[in-house]
Amino acid sequence: MPPVSFVLPDSSSYALGPVPGRPLVVFFGYTHCPDVCPTTLADWKRVKAQLGRDAEQVRFVFVTVDPERDTPEVARRYARQYDSTFVGLSGDAPTTARIMEAYGVAAAREEGSAASGYLVSHSSQVFLVNGDGNLVALYPFGTRWEALAADLARLL
Amino acid sequence: MVSFCSCSSRVPSRGAADFSMSALRSKVSLLTAVLLPVVGACATADPPRTGRVVSSAWARPADSGATSGAYLTIINADSSSVELVGASSAVALAAEVHETMTHEGMSHMMARTAVAIAPRDSLVMKSGGLHIMLLQLTRPLAVGDTIPLTLRFSAGDSVMVNVPVRDF
Repeated sequence: MPPVSFVLPDSSSYALGPVPGRPLVVFFGYTHCPDVCPTTLADWKRVKAQLGRDAEQVRFVFVTVDPERDTPEVARRYARQYDSTFVGLSGDAPTTARIMEAYGVAAAREEGSAASGYLVSHSSQVFLVNGDGNLVALYPFGTRWEALAADLARLL
Repeated sequence: MVSFCSCSSRVPSRGAADFSMSALRSKVSLLTAVLLPVVGACATADPPRTGRVVSSAWARPADSGATSGAYLTIINADSSSVELVGASSAVALAAEVHETMTHEGMSHMMARTAVAIAPRDSLVMKSGGLHIMLLQLTRPLAVGDTIPLTLRFSAGDSVMVNVPVRDF
């Protein structure tokens, strides 16, 4: 997977790309999502707990597909709500388009209510990328979290 | 873990009821004379004969101003079908019943304005399916908190439940 650089709330940059020996777990969603996205990040929390200290080598990254509402700070807070080491990223429109194309992710706005504004349909798989930058597994939404934990244990 | 049990009356003027099991036991004797014809007992050993029972409720943590999701199970103890037609909570500007659907790797949500529950049947909300979307939270929801949630039904009744906030 090609590296894509994001600007963090403190104006530093975060390169979402391969780091030798550090697997990457990536999910694309949006912070107004009440079901699929929080389920996924809560599952990551279980995965991290299962892996124990080995999990320190894993980069768990949430990327918003709704950068208009999810500022870098909102995305960061959202991910850290689950675990202080989880990374939440929000790019500008070109950056978001580039990372979504790289991972083959789709997203589309759908009509919501006065309270919700709009909803976002989005690809809901979790991607596992190894330290060489190769996609090694893809987990459809609904896959039990133990599968990701077992695959990460093999990679580490 | 705190367990919750809520019963609803079909008497519109009575409104929502929210009883813990211990509180219920102390109230039953006082209420029986008035409500026995319309309100069933709220206990697992003695299922209610009418109304709605809500259990297994929980909500996700979220920041103030953000969105949370709540899940629960509703038993329709009536001999006739009923619809869940709405929800509200004091901690959210709006509460909407939604259903997640995932097809070919894409997940999307659809608002459900009425969800039918057959007689003597239950409606189970769970991750990846039906849930209650709590929009524009008026305060942060943290693990360990409890929030109020009111469910409205097509029969004109409503049920208020206290919902614990937890990670999963």
